[in-house]
Amino acid sequence: MDDLEKAIIISFDESGTIDHELKSRAVSYCQQLKESPSICRVCVERVLCTKFVQVQFWCLQTLEEFLHLRYSSMSPEEKLYVRESVMSMACDGRVGEKGSIRFLDAPSFIKNKLAQVLVTLIYFEYPMIWSSLFVDFLQHLNKGAAVIDMFCRVLNALDDEVISLDYPRNAEEVVVAGRIKDGMRQQCIPQIVRAWYDIVSLYKNSNPDVCTCVLDSLRRCISWIDIGLIANNAFVPMLFELVLVEGPPEQLRGAAANCVLAIVSKRMDPQSKMSMLQSLQMSRVFSVVAGNGESELISSLAALLTGYAAELLDCTKRLDSEEIKGISTELLDEVLPSVFYVMRNCEMDATFNIVQFLSGYVATMKSLSPLREKQVLHIGQILEVIRLQICYDPVYRNSLNVLDKIGKEEEYRMEEFRKDFLVLLRSVGRVAPDVTQLFIRNLLASALVSSSERNVEEVEAALSLFHALGESISEEAMKTGSGMLRELVPMLLSARINCHSHRLVALAYLETVTRYVKFVQENTNCIPLVLAAFLDERGIHHPNIYVSRRASYLFMRVVKFLKAKLVPYIQTILQSLQDKVGQCMNSDWSVKEQKSSGTEDGSHIFEAIGLLIGMEEVSPEKQSEYLSSLLTPLCHQVKELLLDAKVQDQEGSFEKIAVIQQIVMAINALSKGFSERLVTASRPTIGVMFKQTLDILLEILEVFPKVELLRSKVTSFIHRMVDTLGASVFPYLPKALGQLIADSEPKEMVSFLVLINQLICKFNSLVGNILEELFPAIASRVFHVLPREGFPSGPGSNTEEIRELQELQKTFYTFLHVVTTHDLSSVFLAPKSRVYLNPLIQLLLHTSCSHKDILVRKACVQIFIRLIKDWCTKPHFEEKVPGFQNFIIETFAINCCLYSVLDKSFEFRDANTLVLFGEIVVAQKVMYEKLGDEFLVHFVSKAFQTAHCPQELAEQYCQKLQGSDIKALKVFYQSLIENLRHQQNGSLVFR
Amino acid sequence: MALPNQQTVEYPSFKLVIVGDGGTGKTTFVKRHLTGEFEKKYEPTIGVEVHPLDFFTNCGPIRFYCWDTAGQEKFGGLRDGYYIHGQCAIIMFDVTARLTYKNVPTWHRDLCRVCENIPIVLCGNKVDVKNRQVKAKQVTFHRKKNLQYYEISAKSNYNFEKPFLYLARKLAGDPNLHFVESPALAPPEVQIDVAAQQQYAPFISGFSCHCFLTYSCK
Repeated sequence: MDDLEKAIIISFDESGTIDHELKSRAVSYCQQLKESPSICRVCVERVLCTKFVQVQFWCLQTLEEFLHLRYSSMSPEEKLYVRESVMSMACDGRVGEKGSIRFLDAPSFIKNKLAQVLVTLIYFEYPMIWSSLFVDFLQHLNKGAAVIDMFCRVLNALDDEVISLDYPRNAEEVVVAGRIKDGMRQQCIPQIVRAWYDIVSLYKNSNPDVCTCVLDSLRRCISWIDIGLIANNAFVPMLFELVLVEGPPEQLRGAAANCVLAIVSKRMDPQSKMSMLQSLQMSRVFSVVAGNGESELISSLAALLTGYAAELLDCTKRLDSEEIKGISTELLDEVLPSVFYVMRNCEMDATFNIVQFLSGYVATMKSLSPLREKQVLHIGQILEVIRLQICYDPVYRNSLNVLDKIGKEEEYRMEEFRKDFLVLLRSVGRVAPDVTQLFIRNLLASALVSSSERNVEEVEAALSLFHALGESISEEAMKTGSGMLRELVPMLLSARINCHSHRLVALAYLETVTRYVKFVQENTNCIPLVLAAFLDERGIHHPNIYVSRRASYLFMRVVKFLKAKLVPYIQTILQSLQDKVGQCMNSDWSVKEQKSSGTEDGSHIFEAIGLLIGMEEVSPEKQSEYLSSLLTPLCHQVKELLLDAKVQDQEGSFEKIAVIQQIVMAINALSKGFSERLVTASRPTIGVMFKQTLDILLEILEVFPKVELLRSKVTSFIHRMVDTLGASVFPYLPKALGQLIADSEPKEMVSFLVLINQLICKFNSLVGNILEELFPAIASRVFHVLPREGFPSGPGSNTEEIRELQELQKTFYTFLHVVTTHDLSSVFLAPKSRVYLNPLIQLLLHTSCSHKDILVRKACVQIFIRLIKDWCTKPHFEEKVPGFQNFIIETFAINCCLYSVLDKSFEFRDANTLVLFGEIVVAQKVMYEKLGDEFLVHFVSKAFQTAHCPQELAEQYCQKLQGSDIKALKVFYQSLIENLRHQQNGSLVFR
Repeated sequence: MALPNQQTVEYPSFKLVIVGDGGTGKTTFVKRHLTGEFEKKYEPTIGVEVHPLDFFTNCGPIRFYCWDTAGQEKFGGLRDGYYIHGQCAIIMFDVTARLTYKNVPTWHRDLCRVCENIPIVLCGNKVDVKNRQVKAKQVTFHRKKNLQYYEISAKSNYNFEKPFLYLARKLAGDPNLHFVESPALAPPEVQIDVAAQQQYAPFISGFSCHCFLTYSCK
């Protein structure tokens, strides 16, 4: 071992045993050598005599790198030397000085590296400089399998490195690829193809491996060589013989099948393609596919048949001639059974998109009616393929039932996977509704009859298919039960499936029942069946919590839909839900429920009950009885818990809180079924019951003033009661609102303000007194928590706390907007509120000029417009708000109506900004109406002057403002502003 | 020469080559495994780090010598020389950078030139990042070449074991092989929102599930 070999071997060593210093020296030694002028010669000589593969690899890699980087600076002699040496290595392997090492015995990765070097030469030299390369190489193929193998490696490397479009290529590489292909097509492709034919004929029995290599190279070329060289009477019979005759190894037969697929996939005009496809007589392959189980060969054949069918389908679409179309349809009919067989039984090549192919095929039938007998058969097969594809694997049965991590993943995967298949099902359903319904009927029938634990997956698939079918059925057809629905829906509703205990089956069942509820609406005899499905152990009483919870939700939806028809069943429904209603008050259950519940909590049951007993069709006595039987125990429970809590320490009452929360949500959901008209006008007794309930629930705020969860639930309930009880809720408000605002966090303050906004919007000035009482507290709270200096910006400022404060600020502006637009601005002037007036006005001014949210700015300008209207009354012997008028003229008008608009950040092309601009113009109009020349003179003489507004523009402004056309004023004012901006050209910085 | 000879162990060990564009997270990925972190050796001048990572299967322990071939130029260094005698491989791309996926075929080609017929896993990393550029449905390369594909998030340890388990099964020729204990991993730097990640919906597109159909299907 000399220094070079040592250095290379050390460079490659990653065992960690080599001294760091030594390794660096070795690496830099190799690096220096690469710079030497004689490196080509060093590499060529060394590669033939070393016995270390690392050294061989390094030499070839260095040579390849050298050619890539320094080809243009090489001398002609040097190029010739490299050419000849590389060629002799590839073709012979006996050129080394010692003549004993046969290069082609080296490991694959060395031969591949050599092929890469050769391809680098081809890249630069073929066909201009080294035109005889392929022809020369062909002369050596008779030396045997090793040289043939090397030749294939070169062609494959050429495909990988230069020709194939599977890799990203730059423009230059594409040009080179074209040049090489052209050169080869002109010069040597026929000879190469001829050689391949001879090799395969000669070696197919004695050396199948080398034949496999040859066919693999051939396959890669088919897309760019003359197809006549391959699709002919010599090659095709040979390829089919390999595919069909048992005996040769599977790899070879598979390689032959891959070649046939490449022929089939060759891009051609549809007519020539059709005659080529016809000439292949593909039906010969069908029996081979059916015969074998799983193997590499079968997956090649499966790809061949599906690829062939896809090409036929493509031709059918593109052909005009009816005659040839007939042939393609015939061929397609012939191959489809095998394609379906493959889809059902074989591991499919994943590049083939089953759904896409089948959808394409189904699409061809859209215009055909009625379908031919064969096509009906094919539809049946397609449905069977869909069914098989969407079936879960029994391996996951338990995971899917308990919904562990694996179950969740698998359910998600299947959901994604199913989407396309279910779309396909629906298009099949449209093309052949009868066949599809019959198929599903049979599936359902066998699922219901013979179901045992064994076929959870099949039952689930049948139900899911029926569910998916429902999405493509028109509302009319659904109601009338067209086709087989009249039979199918009752069959579904009365089904008792053994494997109903499995989560997936139970869910699929309930979803499907819900999907077809429109049918039940018109066929009321089915109502008892639907109710039973939801109320017994198939639904709400299912032992699996995921099922029972989903069932509660779906039941609520069904009730909403059918409620008018459910009046006679109310008693029955209530009775069977009694236990579930009782669970609400159970602390274990509440805690568990809240831990695991997402959007589907237990309150859906209460919502359903509320919908039922809240109907006018229920007699007053019954209604009171039902409602009180529900509310009384719930309220009682809350009272007890509150009493307990008063006595005991509040901490550690997590479970109590959970139960109370659950009850408040339940009552809230229950109340949704009762309309304001019923509660306040026709049945006041009901109103009284809700008021009593409200009274009790408000106590929660007293006992647990700091529990945010409870505060938010009670707030929601107040929202509901405002809607349900109307103005009769007033007596309860002062105390409740006082408690909600006390010590409220920004987030709670937001929901508090939302509640106040609801009250104002619903009752207008009726809430004036309440608001007057509250406003000082609101203002003090908001001014206290909002940062005076505005919000920080830049990194680190996007914290949850800051977002909450921003949300509060926004809600506060909405609140002020709601107050002023509901004629309640006098609230700001009440004696106790006066102290907040100045900061409030300053805040509004600042916001209207510079808040980053344009819509907030707009709201603030609108608030000002209202305040001007309310407070600047002519004549002003005594000002309603002393100083306000001056502020408007001297500050608001100038800062907001002029300076903020002049700022370049005010973007007229933005739609929201344009709306804000419109409001600013309206504000000017209103100021002029209310304050007359006092405003105008000041605005024009002071404000316009500082902006260097030309006299004539100022005069025009006055005219437009005094005119009645607000649109014209807006257009003019915009041009005025743009004019001023242009004039300033950024020299005057406003604000 | 390919297998480090000092740290030889009694149990089966395999050379695993990790390739992919720079910045796709190859190094972050291997460093999640704490035992590997402990024993790893760093050779910045050559551009490869070898991390011995141990996993415990029902058939006993198994070691992957992970050749993390980070930060390589087109020329210079040993490049595909590091792949020699590789027994399995991971090709990594970054789902938030489209170009890194576009280059996957090239990495695959260069790898297969040196290592014929080895099991390979394609990994789309950084799925924790919100605005991904390569959606799961757009990843099709693995099908053409018969590779296994996993979405991972090295930062949150999401699916960390999956590639190793797949390779272990292939190398052992035992599809039922499983890991009996989890390797010690560095604590996640971000929490992946599995619910959002999987857009998991309670059941097929019933009444309320349409809002879930956001990311992977569009």
